[in-house]
Amino acid sequence: MKEWQIEMRSQSGLITGLLFSVVTVYAISFATLNAKLPGTVIAGLLWIALLFSGAASLPRIFLAEEEQGTADLLRLVARPHAVFWGKSIFNCLQAVVTGLILSFLYIGFTSKAVSVPWLFTVCIAMGSLSLAGAVTLCGAIAAQAANRSVLSAAIAVPLLLPLVALGVSGLRVALNDGAISDGYVAAVGLTGYAFATLATGPYIFAAVWKT
Amino acid sequence: MGIAVVWSYTVPDANKFQVPGMARIFLWHFPCPMLAVFLLIYAAWCALRISSRVTIKPTFSVQPETDHDQKMLWDLRSVAAMEIGYIFCLLTMATGILFSEVQWGDWWSWDPRQTSFLIVLLIYAAYFALRFAYTDAGKKAAYSGAYALATILPTLFLVFVFPRIPYIKNLSLHPSDSIMKGLITGQYGQCVCYILALFTVLAVYLFKLRMRVGTLETNLEKHDGNLENSGGSPAVTGVVRSVHLP
Amino acid sequence: MIGWVGGIVITSKDYTADIPEKLLTVDKLGKKYGGRWIFRGISFQLGVGDRLVILGRNGAGKSTLLKTIAGLTSRTEGAVAFPDGDSRHVLGLCALEQSVYGQLTVEEHLQLTADLRGCPARVDELLQQVNLDYARTRAASQLSTGMKARLKLAMAIQPDPFVLLLDEPGAGLDEEGRNLVEKITADQAKRGCLIVATNDPLERRLANLELQLV
Repeated sequence: MKEWQIEMRSQSGLITGLLFSVVTVYAISFATLNAKLPGTVIAGLLWIALLFSGAASLPRIFLAEEEQGTADLLRLVARPHAVFWGKSIFNCLQAVVTGLILSFLYIGFTSKAVSVPWLFTVCIAMGSLSLAGAVTLCGAIAAQAANRSVLSAAIAVPLLLPLVALGVSGLRVALNDGAISDGYVAAVGLTGYAFATLATGPYIFAAVWKT
Repeated sequence: MGIAVVWSYTVPDANKFQVPGMARIFLWHFPCPMLAVFLLIYAAWCALRISSRVTIKPTFSVQPETDHDQKMLWDLRSVAAMEIGYIFCLLTMATGILFSEVQWGDWWSWDPRQTSFLIVLLIYAAYFALRFAYTDAGKKAAYSGAYALATILPTLFLVFVFPRIPYIKNLSLHPSDSIMKGLITGQYGQCVCYILALFTVLAVYLFKLRMRVGTLETNLEKHDGNLENSGGSPAVTGVVRSVHLP
Repeated sequence: MIGWVGGIVITSKDYTADIPEKLLTVDKLGKKYGGRWIFRGISFQLGVGDRLVILGRNGAGKSTLLKTIAGLTSRTEGAVAFPDGDSRHVLGLCALEQSVYGQLTVEEHLQLTADLRGCPARVDELLQQVNLDYARTRAASQLSTGMKARLKLAMAIQPDPFVLLLDEPGAGLDEEGRNLVEKITADQAKRGCLIVATNDPLERRLANLELQLV
């Protein structure tokens, strides 16, 4: 609730996120000279955009606490699980909304037909949840380091590459470039990854919260 | 090691490979990822012990005096396992790249196995980047331990699950399920087992050496601290006493 | 208990007999950072009514000692023990470098800390106590330094903690604010114990025990 209140009052994160989505989509379309690309390439480019926008913006939720000096207040009054879930839920919402907007914008710009809409939505949603969970944890791990902004992205991206592999293999099927059985495997994999990340994250976070 | 080198040259050529004579690089390649993954799992186990409240007496000659010393000892084990695991990761990539050039004609074929193991290498590299970012020993141990735990799931996925996804498996040139299909038999099987045992002994030796170096560094730091305390800039201390104000 | 301070042996065996109940026990506490000891061998026990002032030059480790006792930073050696219970209810800390959320109002800060702690918010009572009632709907970014200090004080005393830690509580406060700190100190002594880290000689008189870090 606190994150939501602060975001609604400053709106900086929301506006920045939306602006970044629009600019990214436009940049990718521009860079590919609006060529008709196969589903696999579109899926790959989309996931790269989601990955880097998430890795750059989502860890801010913990980094900002350390930079503002409010982290100690949270450590004093809150249980670690409550802190992690509060921030993860906010990040998950932000990631899912940004992911869906970015992906629909991109599909609109490229005029690529989505042949399996439910798979498309599941891949983006579950992928965004996994992204949010992993990046939130990496933000918490890097929050007290000297070069925290870059470090949080640097440690998060390698962990998320398997997620990107699953996401691309699912999204390409949704864009009519592969067998539906591969899509099922990818959807199950993404859902499992999301559950595993969000289930283990609070316990790992609790171990390092008061260090 | 000499026996292993000679033996690897005496095994028969592998006829199913494009360049049968050079396929024996496999004998050196095969044990490396197994040890790398085992060491990563062991490092994560040691990382779990850093945050655990259960104290387990370590089996080394250095006995920790305090909880902090105990945590630092587990951190040392974790980082030693990671460092040696990284060496085996690099050996896996190096031998794999040689195999790729000989068998498939390219140093880098974007084979899914090659690519997924490169990601494992990147995960290891991120671990070391994280360690370098913290100067305080306690924070370094806690945060790098947390990251080691967080990397287990992606690493196991990349090494064991990803290459076996049907779509990925069809694209891969890398031999798969060689053990399950019983393809590694006879002299090849014996030589691989010997080299695996040899590399395991090497890994244990390097681990113990790294532990000894780490322990010496810790003792040196304590000695420097004691010198600082006795030589003019002692650690701040104090005693509580009653205040009697007029 | 015998201590060693700058070569002079001090016996203080009498003070332990005066403490009626152990609210806070610190045993051989030490903190090392980057290979250098910040402090070492700190031991004391506090009961109801005890008010300890920690004195020392700049950089002696007063703030670090408070943070270590509060559990905000890990200790290298020693132990800290509180009465049984959730440390979020037992302990309150008001520190100089602690900050507040600029976009939240004064009232929302108290509501937030109460929700996270799981204790009654007591917003009206606390705001009257720290004399911030007139600014309850003001965003924290619009508060002066002294007002932020009062807000931090209110958040620290919200759960009626047994142990209250104050790091230079008078910094940024006017005379009215300092009187407020004295009153809070006196109230705290009735139900628990207090530790104040300070360089201010005026704040020294808040205490009946002192710990000089040398």
